Formats: sequence, C-alpha cells, structure tokens
Amino acid sequence: MSFALVVSEVRRGLFEERNLDALGLARLLGKETLLLMPEGPYGSCGKLADVIITAKVEETDFLNPLVMAQIVRKVIEAKGKPDVVLFTGSSSGVELSSYLAGSLDLPLITDVSGFDAEKGVFLKSYYADKIFGEFKPKEGTFVLTVRSGSFKEHARTAASAGAVEVLEGIAPAPGRSFIEYVEEEKSEIDIAKADFLLSVGRGIGSKDEIPAYLELADALRAVLSGSRPVIDKMWLPKPRQVGTSGKTVKPKVYFAMAISGAFQHIAGMKDSDCIIAVNKDPEAPIFQYAHFGVVCDANKLRDKMKDIAKKG
Amino acid sequence: MNLLVFAKRVPATQEEELRILGDGAAVDLSRVPFKVNDWDAYAIEEAVKTVEKTGGAVTAVSIGDAESDEVLRRAIAMGAKDGSLIETEQVVHDPHSRAGLICNFLKKEALPYDAIFTGVQSEDDQFAAVGGILAAKLGLPYASMVIGIDAFEADHAVVRRELEGGLQERIKVALPAVLSIQSGINEPRYVSIMGVRKASKVERKVFKAAAYGDGLKGMIDVVKWVYPQKKGGAAMLQGDLDDICKDLLGILKEKGVYQ
Repeated sequence: MSFALVVSEVRRGLFEERNLDALGLARLLGKETLLLMPEGPYGSCGKLADVIITAKVEETDFLNPLVMAQIVRKVIEAKGKPDVVLFTGSSSGVELSSYLAGSLDLPLITDVSGFDAEKGVFLKSYYADKIFGEFKPKEGTFVLTVRSGSFKEHARTAASAGAVEVLEGIAPAPGRSFIEYVEEEKSEIDIAKADFLLSVGRGIGSKDEIPAYLELADALRAVLSGSRPVIDKMWLPKPRQVGTSGKTVKPKVYFAMAISGAFQHIAGMKDSDCIIAVNKDPEAPIFQYAHFGVVCDANKLRDKMKDIAKKG
Repeated sequence: MNLLVFAKRVPATQEEELRILGDGAAVDLSRVPFKVNDWDAYAIEEAVKTVEKTGGAVTAVSIGDAESDEVLRRAIAMGAKDGSLIETEQVVHDPHSRAGLICNFLKKEALPYDAIFTGVQSEDDQFAAVGGILAAKLGLPYASMVIGIDAFEADHAVVRRELEGGLQERIKVALPAVLSIQSGINEPRYVSIMGVRKASKVERKVFKAAAYGDGLKGMIDVVKWVYPQKKGGAAMLQGDLDDICKDLLGILKEKGVYQ
C-alpha cells in the first residue's frame, strides 16, 4: 500500500497550524494520507486526511520521541510501511523525526521548504537560506520535516471526516518523562503591541552598540526588539525577541537593522504592514521580504539617522 | 560525571556572499573564514558548567579535517580536559553518516560517558538531526532544544526544552542520554588567543575516520545546489547616507509612525 504518514503536532489540546504544511506536502506527493494523532479534543481535523489513526496515549507521551518510535512501529505492523513519514518543522518535529529515523534506520531530510515533482527532489536550506540543496532520499521509506508556511496551501479539507482507526497497547518510556510546561516570565514591554519596532540583529557587532540603538528608538518613538542571536548573546532580554521561539509581531513598521533574516525570524515578522531592512550583505534573505531596503553598515545609518531625527 | 561534547568547525557565512560552482556541483567556500559552530560553543559551555558542579571531566570530539583541531583547542581553553579528532577529508552531509561514524567510534574506543552533549544544529547544514539519530542508534534517551539544565544527578537529569512562542517544557531524562543544546542556554566564556595557545599543549588524540566506517552508508544524495528563489524583493534606496536617512524618515511619516 502506498501512503504518507503525517505525524501531527498537538500541544495543550491544540492542533498546531503548521500541521497543514506536512499535510500539504503529503498531498503534493499524491499520496493517500494517514494522520497520526493522540486521543484528545482536537476538533475537526479529521477532514484533513483520508484516515485518522488515534494512538491511545497522553498528548505529552505522544510528543516523546521514545514513545513515538514505538507508535510508528505499531502503525507499520498494522498498515505496512509508508512511503514517507512527515513531521512539522518545530522543536518537537526535529526531535521526533531524528529519533525515529535513527530508530528505524530511515533516510531523513529536515527543514524541507520545496518539492520539485519533475525531478523528485526536496529543497532544503543551507547556510541560513543563502543556498538550498536539492536532496533525494535513497530507496524505501523516508522521513521529512516540513518548514512551516511552505505547503499549507496544498492541504485539502474533505467534505467528510476520514475513517478513524485506534492504536492501542502503547507502553510508556521509562527513559524520558514530561514534568510540566513553563511559561515565559511576564514583561513590562509587549513588543507584539507596538506599532513601530526597531529591531536589531547580530550584525550590529557587539552589546556596546545597543545604547545608541535605544537612543535612536527613543528619537523615533519606536520600541527596540531583536533577533535570536541578539537575545542568545544577552544583548537584549528574551521578551524582546522576534521570531518563532520568541514573539510573532505585526507592527505598522518593522525596521530591521543588521538582521540577515533567518527563516525563524521571518516567520515572526513577515506580516508587518511595512518592512524596512538595512544590511551590509546585498544577498541577505531579509531583502526578499522587505518593502524597502538599504545596503550599508547599519551602525553608520543609525548614527546619521539619529542626528537627523534629533534635529527634527 | 564524564561528558562527551561533539563540536564542529563550520564556515562563517553570515556576512559572506556565497557562490555556487559548476552548474550546482558545489558551493565555493574557499574564501570563507571558518569557526566553531555557534550551537556547539553553547554545548561546550554547558558541559563544562555541568562538571564544575558535579565533578568529572569533559572530552571534546570533532569530526573533520586536520583544521578541526582548532575546535578542540578552543573547547580545552573553555575547560574541556582533552579532545579527540575523528579525522576525515570528506564533507559529510548526511546526518545518518555522521551519527553512524560517532556510534562506531564510541563503541570501538569504549569511551566512558554519563551523557553526550551536541549542539542542536550546525550553522552550515542545519539538519538538527545528528543528536537524535545517535541517541536512537545507541539506544539512549534523547532531548533536543535543551535551554536549561535544572538538575544533573547520578542517574537522571531534569532539563527544560524550548518550544515555540516563549513556552518551555520541563522533562526528566534518564542517564546516560544524548542532549542537544540550544543556543542562548548560557553565555559561552570568553577565551583569549593566549588561552587557545596554552590549550594546544594539552593532548588531542587523532583517530582516522576510515577505521569506523563499518556498515555506514549514505541515505540521501545532494543532486544540486541552487540559489534561493527571488520573491520580488525590496525597493532598494540609493544615494548618500544623508539622502537615504531622509527618505527613510519620509517613509516612516507616510506610514504614520513618526511625526
């Protein structure tokens, strides 16, 4: 039997929207689609696949890579080998997919953002989206993780829900167990509420540059935010992070300085009304998403702009 | 506690314009400087910080050509006890091949460890998969996107995993285990050129990768390298800096965010 197995990502009772990208790619591959889910109140997602396989396990166990390897083994016992197993491109998706690929010795391509049906190749990002590789898995079942936003337009909702099959007898994994969720600390500044964000990336060079950017933000009456590397390096606090692991923002103006535009960052700001990007590298991916761009040293532009803005 | 940490030397492509050679056959990295993979620097720091509390030692391991010794020297300067290089001239793209090589190496050399640390991903290939495949091959528990270690005891660790939108999950992992460390978990300590030079006096073992090739087979092929698809892109502002700044302020006024 020829089919695609889509492993859903569900968290705290929610069917994550990025599942649509995995489902969309499964459709694009022209496969019958089996959607694997834990038991739970996940709404009407039954119409998204031909068959729903419900694994009788807690949601947090379902997301445990040690348990998932066992669940997929059971699916194969019951239904035969899928042509492809698809995961979301997320914290849990990368963890589950790599552990499964290692457990069952299956080829793995992660962060897939394109598919060329004619050549039968999958596009995967290299060097932070500066280059893409066209990859082909060897014979047999293979595993993919799918970049969010890449294929969701190909997902289809059927008129009626797919048949439901239940998978039982899944044992807990003693090697790893869920304890609790930890929420981010509340912060006084909510960058998601700002109309105008001035956002800085690692290209500014060092923490010493931050005060001058704060001055510019003051002069422009903008709120200062940053990309992941700036938060990682502790140049700015975590609540000011824009991106998938930080905040998703939609200001009137997103002014990105010295941010090259990693995909996780783009995903967090691409719906802004107006995006302005300043970067030294004319090939920086962010220029593909910006409305206005300037190729220059962001720190120099900052100083000049601050002078002009202060003069009124 | 004996911790192994795997670290990789990668091209620093952040500010480089990359060129594809020969109709997609290769990417030209000949003029690009190399450095320690960012995520691995966090993994090294976390391993060193952990043994500073629990006692024991960190051994750094790198797969790559002779130049990757730089990674080991840096790890030692940061506090690793020693280092091992699994030497190969080949660029290994498939995470299965890399994990398989590590697995064979660990079994053959019988290196003792209580946990294996890796970075979540490397900056060049961004597979984020070696740790997971390795854990499965070794039959060990696995956690990736580790953004905090809350406890590290004899038989288990309590760690926090980074999820999306600022959310984390706290989990318990039995040891030995493989933990893939996320960037931002700590502040990797600064090492001076003097420190790296001093580290070069500490022994680093070299193992030839060919000795650990049993049963290794690539499972995926790169058919071609291509540039990203252009999406239309931005209207680029030209001129001298003064004019550009005035144009930008004009845009901000027009959008109603600046008076």
